[in-house]
Amino acid sequence: MGAAFLCADICARNTAEKADTVHQVEELVVTSRRSPNKIATPMPVQTLSSADIADLGIRDMADAVRRFAGTNVKDYGGIGGLKTVSVRNMGAAHTAVSYDGAPVSNCQAGQIDIGRFSLDNVGMLSLAVGHSDDMLQSAKLYTSAAVLGISTEKPHFGQGKNFSTRVQMKGGSFGYVSPSVRWWQKISNNVTTSLDATFLRADGNYPFTLENGKYVTRERRNNSAIDSWHAEGNVYAAFPGSSELQVKGYYFRSKRGLPGAITLYNPISTETLWDENAFVQARFKKTFSPKWSLQALAKYNYAWNKDQEFGPQFTGGVYCATHHQDEWFLSATGLYRPAQNVTIALAQDGVVNTLNSTMTECPNPTRYSSLTALSARWNTPHFTLSGTLTGTYITETVETGDRPDDISKINPSLSMSVKPWADRQLYVRLMYKSTFRVPTFNDLYYYRLGSRTLRPEKADEFDIGLTWGHSLFPAMDYLSVTLDAYYNDVTDKIVAFPTTYAWRMVNFGKVHVTGLDVTLATSFSLPLGMNLALSGGYTWNKAIDLSDKSSKTYRNQLPYTPEHSGNASAILETPWLNIGYSVVAVGKRYYLSQNIPANEIAGYDDHTLTLSRTLDFRKCSLTLRGEILNLTDKQYDVIKFYPMPGRSWRLSATFNF
Amino acid sequence: MDFKKITWGLCASLTICGGFSSCSDNDEPKIDDNGSKIELPASRVFILNEGSIGQNNANISLFDPDSKTIIEDVFYEQNEMRLGDVAQDMIEYNDYIYVSVYKSNYIARLNAAGVEQQRVSFASDPDLQGGVRYLAAEDGYLYASFHGGVVAKINATSLRVEKKITGLGANLEGVAIENHMLYVANAYEQTFDPETDKNVFNYLTDLRVIDLSKFELSETLTVAANPNQVLAEDGKIFLISWGNYNDQGYEFQMIDPKQNNKVTSLGVASKMGVGNDKVYLVYALTDWTTRVTTNTFSYYDIKAGKMVNSSFINDPLKQLENASIFSIGVNDENGDIYIGLTNYTTSNGSFFRFKKDGSMLYDFANCGGQNPSKFVFIDAD
Repeated sequence: MGAAFLCADICARNTAEKADTVHQVEELVVTSRRSPNKIATPMPVQTLSSADIADLGIRDMADAVRRFAGTNVKDYGGIGGLKTVSVRNMGAAHTAVSYDGAPVSNCQAGQIDIGRFSLDNVGMLSLAVGHSDDMLQSAKLYTSAAVLGISTEKPHFGQGKNFSTRVQMKGGSFGYVSPSVRWWQKISNNVTTSLDATFLRADGNYPFTLENGKYVTRERRNNSAIDSWHAEGNVYAAFPGSSELQVKGYYFRSKRGLPGAITLYNPISTETLWDENAFVQARFKKTFSPKWSLQALAKYNYAWNKDQEFGPQFTGGVYCATHHQDEWFLSATGLYRPAQNVTIALAQDGVVNTLNSTMTECPNPTRYSSLTALSARWNTPHFTLSGTLTGTYITETVETGDRPDDISKINPSLSMSVKPWADRQLYVRLMYKSTFRVPTFNDLYYYRLGSRTLRPEKADEFDIGLTWGHSLFPAMDYLSVTLDAYYNDVTDKIVAFPTTYAWRMVNFGKVHVTGLDVTLATSFSLPLGMNLALSGGYTWNKAIDLSDKSSKTYRNQLPYTPEHSGNASAILETPWLNIGYSVVAVGKRYYLSQNIPANEIAGYDDHTLTLSRTLDFRKCSLTLRGEILNLTDKQYDVIKFYPMPGRSWRLSATFNF
Repeated sequence: MDFKKITWGLCASLTICGGFSSCSDNDEPKIDDNGSKIELPASRVFILNEGSIGQNNANISLFDPDSKTIIEDVFYEQNEMRLGDVAQDMIEYNDYIYVSVYKSNYIARLNAAGVEQQRVSFASDPDLQGGVRYLAAEDGYLYASFHGGVVAKINATSLRVEKKITGLGANLEGVAIENHMLYVANAYEQTFDPETDKNVFNYLTDLRVIDLSKFELSETLTVAANPNQVLAEDGKIFLISWGNYNDQGYEFQMIDPKQNNKVTSLGVASKMGVGNDKVYLVYALTDWTTRVTTNTFSYYDIKAGKMVNSSFINDPLKQLENASIFSIGVNDENGDIYIGLTNYTTSNGSFFRFKKDGSMLYDFANCGGQNPSKFVFIDAD
């Protein structure tokens, strides 16, 4: 059995038998390949390592996330286009994003634009349906329907070295240039620091083919230029008595043209968006004894954006809106093991969110949230049973008008994993989770559209899965297969309800989602020091609208929901060259609610080929990488009239010393 | 079932009548059907489906009221290209069809078969980049309103912009011509209020009157806030203002050019159509606790000069009671009344056809696109 599979096996057993140390395993430095899909967790968890991200030529966060089975990434095209992720079609606002353990929020829009997160310093990406199996997490992550976890790479040093530096230059089609620098420093045996800085610019004016009946024209995606800056600093400190502290400072700023949807016969686009986001977060963990552990988390987040558009329709010829959000977040989670196979965790979060916006009649709301999660897990060698009860209380104040009613909710979840045979890595898992999403500030206060009487949108998730890990022959490092069937029921869905001339947000929609996620991953050790890793995923998904029996869209598949989607990848590592190949394929979808041929949008497949070579010198190394994205030059839209780029290339040189 | 028999009987008689009239008419075709790729009915109801913003799904359907068949997206069938994004207005003038497409920002002239003859794009004109809205025509010229406060005078044959009046306000909407004067609604402005630090919508109360003989602003009338739909009939101008979405609601008004443009408020209405010496009105009110919209039908009798607060439809139909009514069109030739219903962005709209006396002929479940906003009637006979 290969070392990597052993690692996966250790992970599995740790999860099953020593729940309180799972989070420690997460922090291991993995130097050999391991299965990307956790097979022993009661809730489905998929991962993608930094090595896979590099080897597969994954272009950005959205491209990475769409490789997780069960995800539906809305990508408005180009580097600067909005990218959001919905898991199992519950809607993007049901998916939480955590960045090094702290939730990322956007109370105004609800959905997180994952496009702004850099992949350069990511160590591991994970997608948990329900929540992750690490019990030392904030209550916010316990309450979400799914969690996209972004973990940055923790500094590690070569033998006898107390620093590590990486200088990287990337360039590619459409004026893409992105230099970045990373500096890891060991201050003492217990304190290390890291500093990452990335600049990115692109003209983004990629060509695309526009088909309009008899006219097939080559156009350019104008007003798509982007400049962005990202800097991040971390201090990692370990203290005597099994405690550790991570303090992070993060800054992001971008200016990007918003080309909007293609408008036939009218190429004029004058909208620009500026984004600024800064946060400071501190995470402290302490293991008091084999029975007691604690995590404390504090975060302040500042988010600002400005949207500007020119045109004679605006008085003075220009429209400008600014939005400023602040968040103060405090969380503490205590973990207690009263017995060898029982673990209990209690998490309590307190959050304050504010919005100050120039939006018409925006009442500048302040939201106070209290989230509590009581979680328990019982493990035996053959059985894991987990249950969580979350309590949420939200109250809001506004400067003008009525304030919405307080929200008070209790939601349970239950999951279990059964391992019928001690000597086989075969698991059966079951999950139920009750969850909800609160109305966003836009849902509540958007001029004319918002409604202050909205209730939370509710979702119930059910999953039954079969997972299997094995090594069929000595050269096979691992083989993991997961198969999950799921059913989600979304009620009181918050939708814009049209009536004559005035639309308003209401709790009206009802959606049933039935689906199947299949993943497969394997790796082979080949002669001459070569290794071949293969992975793939397939999702079948039926998400139907049950909102209104009298509607023409009753029982129609939701817009932008393919019935079939999947991906496959292969990475061949050799002593001379690494070759990565991947394909993402999505079936036909509808871009409007009514399932008629006129609203159909064609499926697509997007192939990527990557070649890389690392040259080792005495005290440094140089990695050269070339990527061809959308190898077959397929013209496709993820969102109708937001064309994606055709074939393009990227080159990068990474110098480590 | 009886209804079907009656309809087929009616169709048969119309066909026979049509046959006779063809024999007697002979020679020159009355209308221009050149370039048509499809067989066209004699009676044509062109339905403008506005579509939904950002989806480039505006289209025109061609309905044959005799055979009760529809050619969906006849514009695409005839021209092999899509109409564009957000169709705003469509009028018939000298047996040609003129259509304005707001976000695509152009006007096209189509012949009676829906074949495009000419188009003018405003995308590169900084004055007109706010987007074209509504159309009216007289004496060989089209008059088009634009967001951004401009009215353009456009040669109806060449579609060349001859003149523009800028600075007429903010976002102009409906237009109508009476007695060589163009009435233009100046609806609202979107601006920034430094005192509150907010973007604001100011709902304006201007109805601009432009003297077409000089093509200059003649006067500005004060009307209810947010004037929008403007129609002319029997020497009068009729206007619906949309209010401020708060304490001021929809208001139906009449402007009498013969009485020095006197503005008279006549009641409430959210949509209107004119014909048969009447203004057909519907007022939609939504109860947000139940999310049910209730329609009230009424009409203004122009000859009698009075509001009639009873329905212009006989036996008000259950299907129309709570439907989202998007348009009312009247066929000048036979007085038929068409009512377009919308399902907004979710699905294609539908329509009802009534006789002049208010009796229902039939309903048609699919108008071939979203948001049927205008009916244009052309008779080839």
